[in-house]
Amino acid sequence: MTAVRQDRTDLETSVFSSQERVVALHQVERSDWESSRLSITATLPEKELSSGPWSDVTVMAVLTEKSTNSRTTTLLERESTGSSTWAGQLRFWRSAYRSQAELAVIVVATVDGVRGRVVGRSDDNWLVDLTARTPVRRQELQVEEVDFRDGPHEWLRPYKDAPWMIETSGDIPTVHLNTGFEGIAELLNSNGSSMEKAVRDMLAAQIATDVWTAVFHSAVSDLEVDAEGNPQWPGGWRDAVLRGMLSDVLPEQSGADALREIHARRSESSGWNELQPRINYAATRRAKVARHLGTAVRVLETSQKGSKA
Amino acid sequence: MTDKPEHMPDRLALLSDTNAAKSLSTGVLASRENPPYIALSKNSEPLRGAGARLDVEPLRDLIDDVMHLYRDDARTKADAWLAPRLHAALRLTRREAADARLWNFVSLSVAPDYVVWRHLPATGKNGFPPMVAAERFRGAHYTQAFSRLWWAAELFRDGADYRPVQVACGNQDVLNTVLRLDIIDHRPTAQALIRLVEKGTARTGREVNALSAVANTAASTLMYDVFAADDAWDGSILEEWIREGDSAPPVSRRLLPDGPDDGPVPEKAVDTLVRYFEELFVDANVRGRLTDES
Repeated sequence: MTAVRQDRTDLETSVFSSQERVVALHQVERSDWESSRLSITATLPEKELSSGPWSDVTVMAVLTEKSTNSRTTTLLERESTGSSTWAGQLRFWRSAYRSQAELAVIVVATVDGVRGRVVGRSDDNWLVDLTARTPVRRQELQVEEVDFRDGPHEWLRPYKDAPWMIETSGDIPTVHLNTGFEGIAELLNSNGSSMEKAVRDMLAAQIATDVWTAVFHSAVSDLEVDAEGNPQWPGGWRDAVLRGMLSDVLPEQSGADALREIHARRSESSGWNELQPRINYAATRRAKVARHLGTAVRVLETSQKGSKA
Repeated sequence: MTDKPEHMPDRLALLSDTNAAKSLSTGVLASRENPPYIALSKNSEPLRGAGARLDVEPLRDLIDDVMHLYRDDARTKADAWLAPRLHAALRLTRREAADARLWNFVSLSVAPDYVVWRHLPATGKNGFPPMVAAERFRGAHYTQAFSRLWWAAELFRDGADYRPVQVACGNQDVLNTVLRLDIIDHRPTAQALIRLVEKGTARTGREVNALSAVANTAASTLMYDVFAADDAWDGSILEEWIREGDSAPPVSRRLLPDGPDDGPVPEKAVDTLVRYFEELFVDANVRGRLTDES
């Protein structure tokens, strides 16, 4: 990414990050933009490209988003004869995209007389984030502090005694933190004594365990299958959750096999119960429960020693 | 049977998946009781924005009409009538239509009686009474009762021309298999597949499945965009069409309405892909095809 233009305005280069490979398009001051134009360059291994068994090399940038079924493509041109840098601009409309789109570069050529064969693709794609203000791969989690009893969400009222609720529908999973539950928000935001911190981290780990368990179940139950009944990687946060946790849940299998296995166990409900301890284990690992519990125990010991002395 | 909501909401709104799921009791799915309308209305979030397209009444009128028109027919036939009209009446962007909460609201607060009318099976499974699959009320874009029709119209229309949508929705196998494929996000691919269904090259469920399987598999090593290029899409035309919604007459019941005139799919690209898919299809091993034809 070398530049981003929104409608008729060039955006600051700070809206994209080459390190994180993210473009953040949510501009607070202008939220009603119509279209954006991304300037893209791709460096290709020139030697490999010119010596392969193919002709008519074409380089294409492709912007896709699952939830809107949107696909926008543009051809990249070689910057100059013999150059290994290809460049182009991809213009897309805000009305056709919703939250997070993936930008890939694909190299296509004629091979054995067949046009349009894919001979290479970027393995580290960019994320075009329409909801982010800063170009970082975000923690895919939103925390909302809200009063369950008197707050704006009617559906949370029956849970007025619960300290938190997790919602996994929608673009990003959300933890609703009940401000009506006295002290919880203060505790989570506290930064006092080592004891306070230990309790805070324990609580955070407890919430995180719930979150990881909930998002995993949600991702597995929302899996889409293709015409042959094979589950598809879901994209978005569900994708990240599955790729991250399946290695702990089904350690003996990997990638597509693990996805097929988890889908089969869930939909045929045989072997699903047996997985629950493993799912719980994967969640506690991600929530770093062991580390936080260990720290808390140590802090407790120290303070007891201190009070005895 | 499920009743039409007594107090119809005035405006479309959003209903979260969590809240939708909570109201899908066995009684609601089996059509023994109505959805909890009062709780649903309390849990819905208003949609921002003015405009007649967010009025419930024109949408609800269409639903009343489709249930009347197809009262004596196979319910599946209603899809080809409703899909283009739903799309033309709502005038949504993809950005808006990708919000499942909108479709949850329509299926539960506006027209649960339609969902039951269209999707209640004749017999139950495993000794249970017949029940509508929960995913018809809240589910993926290709299964939910209304979003499947809207997305079929959006992905299969040829610019303003909804005729390919009628072909797509006239074949349940297209709705059930082709609609979920990512390859149809490329407009010429979608049109080419529909052309082959229209020509009768792929008619039965097996044939449609085989055709979509070969096209889909080939797409993993081929970029159709390169040899069957689509034109760049101009979003300002869609925005103009949405603005015109405020002054547009109700969607015609007799004639097929027009969609947003955002450019026809390039004919040459469709032809190229039709020929290519035909070749693939001939080579494909269509299970039981000979017996089907005898």
